[in-house]
Amino acid sequence: MSLQWSSDLEIGIPVIDSQHQRIVDYINGVERAHQHHSQAELLEVLDELIDYTLSHFAFEESLIEEAGYPFCKAHKKVHALFTRRIQAYQQSAKAGEDVTEELAHTLKTWLVNHIKHDDRDYTGVVKANMNEATKRVKTKSGSWMARLFG
Amino acid sequence: MTRFVWSEEFELGIDIIDHQHQRIVEYINQIYDISAADLDAATGENTAEIKQVLASLVDYTVSHFAFEEALMEEADYPELSEHQLVHRQFTGLIENLKARCEQGEEVSQKLAAVLQQWLIQHIMTEDKGYAELVKQQLLGIEPEQHRHWVAEAVSRYFQ
Ligand SMILES: [Fe+2]
Ligand SMILES: [Fe+2]
Repeated sequence: MSLQWSSDLEIGIPVIDSQHQRIVDYINGVERAHQHHSQAELLEVLDELIDYTLSHFAFEESLIEEAGYPFCKAHKKVHALFTRRIQAYQQSAKAGEDVTEELAHTLKTWLVNHIKHDDRDYTGVVKANMNEATKRVKTKSGSWMARLFG
Repeated sequence: MTRFVWSEEFELGIDIIDHQHQRIVEYINQIYDISAADLDAATGENTAEIKQVLASLVDYTVSHFAFEEALMEEADYPELSEHQLVHRQFTGLIENLKARCEQGEEVSQKLAAVLQQWLIQHIMTEDKGYAELVKQQLLGIEPEQHRHWVAEAVSRYFQ
């Protein structure tokens, strides 16, 4: 069963939500590869999934660090643990093992749990920090505008 | 045994940990429900479903333990290694149950009861043990007593 994106997966930070949505697309790609019984397709989508997920994690981690989220280290550890898991699956897939079904299940369950429980926890802090930053930029540009047109 | 009903007494006061614990409770309840439904129908074929829940439970628990251990490490919790040992024992227990289930052994409600017992006991003792220090070190929340003392001192001062 493919994973359907729905509003209960949203955490309310658009840039993160769209990245999560893209990860869901890749996970559905793994499922499709399973339906097509195509090992080549699986390896390809797995490559893309891992690549994209790693850069998403890096982005998210810098966002929460910058916002002073108190559980950064623990959150990062969970990301690292997951990364090692998918990489292990990738190794098995490359060695010709049939891991697709188990992999698809693991990916879906992990992502949904992680978004709903771990990611949602940092939303408040990150949003507050983003609002602050926007305010700062606005005041700055405000004074710049004032100087220019004042 | 009955379903695990979450209540305030299990809370540590660290939201994210409380939510993770509740997620584990949901998985344990799922195992309970599947085995209960099976007892009713007397089909004796709950293994496939339970296998999947057990797999998810192992994954989630491993991730939750890693999260908790990172918090304890950051807070310099002196009993980290003992706590880690207990975590590893539990992971071993679920993995063992999963393996037995994969071998075709029938899983009863007894299994859900064992997991439930373990979790309650662990939260109420070991987890409560690190909660104060983590709140203090990572969240900057002072222990209750200290807060009272400060409040009292302040009110005395401004009387
Ligand atoms: Fe995350
Ligand atoms: Fe624990």
